[in-house]
Amino acid sequence: MIIEYHRPPTLAEAVQLLQRKHPPTRPLGGGTALNFKGEEPLAVVDLQALGLDAIERQGNRLQIGATSTLQQLMEFPDLPSALGDAIRRQATYNLRHQATVGGSLASADGRSPFGVAMLALDAQLTLMPEQRTVSYGDFLALREEFLTGHLITWIEINLQVELVTESVARTPADLPIVFAALARWPSGRLRFALGGWGKTPTLVLDGQGHEGLRLAAESAFSAAADEWASAAYRSQVAGVLAKRCWQRLASGI
Amino acid sequence: MQVTLLINQTQHTLEVSPHETLLSTLRRLGYFGAKVGCDTGECGVCAVLVDGKPLNSCRLLAAQVEGHVIETIESLGQHPHQGWKQTEGLHPLQQAFIESGAIQCGYCTPAQILAAYHLLQHQPNPSEAEVRDALSGVLCRCTGYLKPVEAVLRAAALLRGEAVPPLAFGDRELLSLPVILQSPSDADGTAQFPSSEARTQTKILPKVIFSPQVPQHQRIGKPEKKVDAVKLAQGKPAFAADFEMRGLLYAKVLRSPYAHARIKRIDTSRAKALPGVAAVLTWQDIPRVVYSTAGQSDPIPGPLDTFSLDNKVRFVGDRVAFVAAETPEIAEQALKLIEVEYEPLPAVLDPAEAMSPNAPRIHDEPEYVNFAESDPTRNLAAHIHIDIGDVEKGFAEADYIFEGDYEVPKVQQAHIEPHVALSYWDEDDRLVIRTSTQVPFHARRILAPVLGLPIKRIRVIKPRIGGGFGGKQEILIEDVAAHLTIATGRPVLYEMTREEEFIAARSRHPMRIHLKTGVKKDGTITANAMRVLSDTGAYGCHALTVTGNTGHKSMALYVGDGEYRQRPNIQFHADVVYTNHPPAGAYRGYGVPQGFWPVERHIEKIARALQMDSLEFRLKNALRAGELHPFSTAWSEGREPRPEVIQTCGLEECVRQGKAAIGWDQKFGNPQWHEVPGKPHLRRGIGVALVMQGTAIPYLDMGGASIKMNDDGSFNLLIGATDLGTGSDTVLAQMAAEVLGVELEDIIVYSSDTDFTPFDKGAYASSTTYISGAAVTKAAQQVAERIRLRAARMLNKAANGSGEVTPEMLTLREGRVFAPDGRSVSLAEVAHNALHHEDQEQIMGVASFYSPVSPPPFAAQFAEVAVDIETGQVTVDKLVMAVDSGVIVNPITASGQIEGGMTQALGYAVCEEMCYDEHGRARERDLRHYHIFQAHEMPELETIFVETYEPSHPFGVKAVAEIPMDGVAPAVGNAVLDACGVNIDDNPVTPEKVWRALQAQRQEQSA
Repeated sequence: MIIEYHRPPTLAEAVQLLQRKHPPTRPLGGGTALNFKGEEPLAVVDLQALGLDAIERQGNRLQIGATSTLQQLMEFPDLPSALGDAIRRQATYNLRHQATVGGSLASADGRSPFGVAMLALDAQLTLMPEQRTVSYGDFLALREEFLTGHLITWIEINLQVELVTESVARTPADLPIVFAALARWPSGRLRFALGGWGKTPTLVLDGQGHEGLRLAAESAFSAAADEWASAAYRSQVAGVLAKRCWQRLASGI
Repeated sequence: MQVTLLINQTQHTLEVSPHETLLSTLRRLGYFGAKVGCDTGECGVCAVLVDGKPLNSCRLLAAQVEGHVIETIESLGQHPHQGWKQTEGLHPLQQAFIESGAIQCGYCTPAQILAAYHLLQHQPNPSEAEVRDALSGVLCRCTGYLKPVEAVLRAAALLRGEAVPPLAFGDRELLSLPVILQSPSDADGTAQFPSSEARTQTKILPKVIFSPQVPQHQRIGKPEKKVDAVKLAQGKPAFAADFEMRGLLYAKVLRSPYAHARIKRIDTSRAKALPGVAAVLTWQDIPRVVYSTAGQSDPIPGPLDTFSLDNKVRFVGDRVAFVAAETPEIAEQALKLIEVEYEPLPAVLDPAEAMSPNAPRIHDEPEYVNFAESDPTRNLAAHIHIDIGDVEKGFAEADYIFEGDYEVPKVQQAHIEPHVALSYWDEDDRLVIRTSTQVPFHARRILAPVLGLPIKRIRVIKPRIGGGFGGKQEILIEDVAAHLTIATGRPVLYEMTREEEFIAARSRHPMRIHLKTGVKKDGTITANAMRVLSDTGAYGCHALTVTGNTGHKSMALYVGDGEYRQRPNIQFHADVVYTNHPPAGAYRGYGVPQGFWPVERHIEKIARALQMDSLEFRLKNALRAGELHPFSTAWSEGREPRPEVIQTCGLEECVRQGKAAIGWDQKFGNPQWHEVPGKPHLRRGIGVALVMQGTAIPYLDMGGASIKMNDDGSFNLLIGATDLGTGSDTVLAQMAAEVLGVELEDIIVYSSDTDFTPFDKGAYASSTTYISGAAVTKAAQQVAERIRLRAARMLNKAANGSGEVTPEMLTLREGRVFAPDGRSVSLAEVAHNALHHEDQEQIMGVASFYSPVSPPPFAAQFAEVAVDIETGQVTVDKLVMAVDSGVIVNPITASGQIEGGMTQALGYAVCEEMCYDEHGRARERDLRHYHIFQAHEMPELETIFVETYEPSHPFGVKAVAEIPMDGVAPAVGNAVLDACGVNIDDNPVTPEKVWRALQAQRQEQSA
């Protein structure tokens, strides 16, 4: 249960609050992911007054304020269309106007299309108070640690990167059973991520060649069983989607 | 903490706790337009505008929105006529929602309108896809989204100053049909979500094929606006929880973590000691009264096996204790302080094991009351065995025998308004229960012994209902609030959370079905046998009747041809067993969707095996008008069966119309069409299912109506019939208006209140338009007769001896009473004469109706799909349903029923199911994991009505509400077979099932 609400006017004050041990204190973005009714007493730090809701293009890089909403990001003119699609898959209209980019990344589980796409894009996160940059992949690996006493302030992606996504679900808007995202840099670097399973999106490949992509995808999901699908199915479909992603990138569709 | 909120341009400074949501604050302040749906942001019915953006107020803290501009639905538009005061009237969006039939239950309407308002502020000329996207965040379980989308497009056009064609039917033909605002753009049939283009052809008005037998009417057959739409479009406090009361307590229920356990010890002392707790009740505190929660007529056709609270729990989520407290949060906290010591018992989670000799016994309570062949010693809640003709002889006469096993899942009604009830003692110490129920009169009768009150000291009020679909044909929560009101003397509100809806409310019975069919070489069915194992869960509510209808409807459709038409051979056998799953119950369709999945999948396989045209095969064997309903002599919901002859059957015309609409002849068997250019992994398929339902329960279902005339020639129509969003208040008013010759606005409808309205058995069994409608018609005829008598006297008096008329010569139309020579008096004059001037009387009529027959509606359901043969993903592209529901009283509300029903049934086809782990714990506990279709992922929907004139009803109507649930799933299953040659015999048709079947097919082919 939330026992304290704070809306600090400065980043420094926000970080100070977040570094308290008691009561446990969490950042509050849009509020869509936070459990309002959890059993433990919790303090929240509302980030809305910190001016972190801007989205700016700086050369080929897109700087996204952590409290920008998913809708703001989706409407950004130069956004890769596949990322916009992933956002639409992530949240419906009302929730997109409410959910923040930072909050969505921080809380992404394996079935988060946006999280998978951002992992493929190798999004970079700026964390306070150290003001250090970590990749989204590294963040996911040590999420609990990064979420304690830290604050995501900015997210950066490279707009030169091409992105394609593919998915399988029971219906067009249902949670994906497998979600695949393949990103290609002008240098030829390929980065492939999978979702639809697990506690976090899964990075499958980061390298130069597409050979072995399908196999890597199948292998990455070879144990991806849960109550929604078997590992055999997910593994096979991951391979199929990996192949399709590459075919679309290669053919420019 | 203190916050200042700017809501609808009014500043409110108030104390809130840090955890208080904006939704809670708004409702505390009386802004009831924001509704409670899920508390997790998935349903969106709590949406309000914050700084102009539609946000879900259940996911916002009140403190978060301080300093922002909040607008609720209450800020938008007003009733245009408020006495001497001029108002701006309704907003064009509200007006369009009303006119387009976009409002059914209206629970999600405020949020839909606000989302659309935001869209139109930013995009005055939206595409259909943009509208669908804007509505994607607000779940609607009633409409299928088609009419809300159309409403937004029409409102947008109006706001741009464009002319929008009126929605109106002419006399016996459609003048404005259809309004197509955007053509289907799915050129290759492979649209993937999210599509930048619309995939849905939008039509408000359905195609209606008129019957020459149907006489011309003034109000019947017209797309009248719903009588409750204006208040719903404004978000007025019309629902059960939209109520303010001094001293209100909030109820919460402690639920079992075990599937099967005995409560050895329960200590509530710590909970009771918590400040703010008013009462804690366990099984030790209230009388032990056995009853059934099934909201059915007396005697309930099922076992009595339930207690308000018991010392044993029978499923994860079963009740353990009730708490009432000053706030919901305190009540929640108190639940955690109740100490319970359980003795876990072995659980039965596989229905196939329920009747084995070693199975744990779920109902061992001595109070258990059997019904018919229920046998708790064998975990048998109900048993049915029906023999019609001689199936063994029929099988012996067959050239081929086809057998198959099928399975259907447990699914949820998922009405967006949760179960909610408010109870209080009134000034006469009578217990008032304001509840979201489909069965107010049954609720009163069933609750009386449970609460220790005589029926006359209970008043049940049914306000507007935010959807029910059978889930509220259950006395599920009223006792919780009522027990706590009795314990505390204070008003108590109990509103189920969405999680409780999933773990503790009712659901559709899952079943395993075996079918055996004998067929001659020429395609004549000689015998048909169905064997069902149905899982009723922990309690036997609706166990017998739901499963009985599985056979009664689905096994009645194919009687065979030739001599078999007169003497069909049909066998239906069902065991309905107790398990430690949450109880199943009534869900729209009531057992019939469970029957038509196997029957229509099976029939398709047989037709293909015989290499016959599948529609020709179906129609050759299908029931026809003039034939005996084969089950009518064998079974009638646990009561005495009586023979019924089918009077009307438009099935052949439904097939003809449906085929044309979906392009069957161009697609079925056309290899070219099945391929998708440029997408070698996709295969198109087309499928069909024929279905029938019933219309009410014969010799049982009764509805009453009362009509009284007012001074101005308007009428109060009081009905016990329970409009749960279907539009029944409107169609019943149309019938009254037709008889009385007035505009619909001159009929003031009120439903339902056990103190004020006549008895009606409630909203179930597709009965209201037929049963309650006939009662209304009879009552209106009585009133019309009194009016004619008086009008004749008035006309004769005025004529002063010349041109005498008799009452029989007079007609009522246009608010007047006309003589054949054109003389007339107004109804207001008649009313004044009756009430004030001469031989005074209250002109009124009271009538009731029950029917000796249950005339079945029939339908042909078509589906078009695209199957990804590499992943198994199935995309449903189009659904067409051609329905014979008799005469259509209101094509706009009736088509809304079909569209919404098809959408629910689409979920049954591809994604909806409730699964449990080895401990009986639910997989689906929220609307994120239990996916119901959203506005932006819908296939194209098309509805066609093929009218017949059912002679047993004064206006020739049959049912429309449940039949759309029956055919979508098997039509989709058959379309998948058509697309890629694999049979999925257990719905939903999920990607992995299709993929596995394709794998098996490939292995078979390679072998």
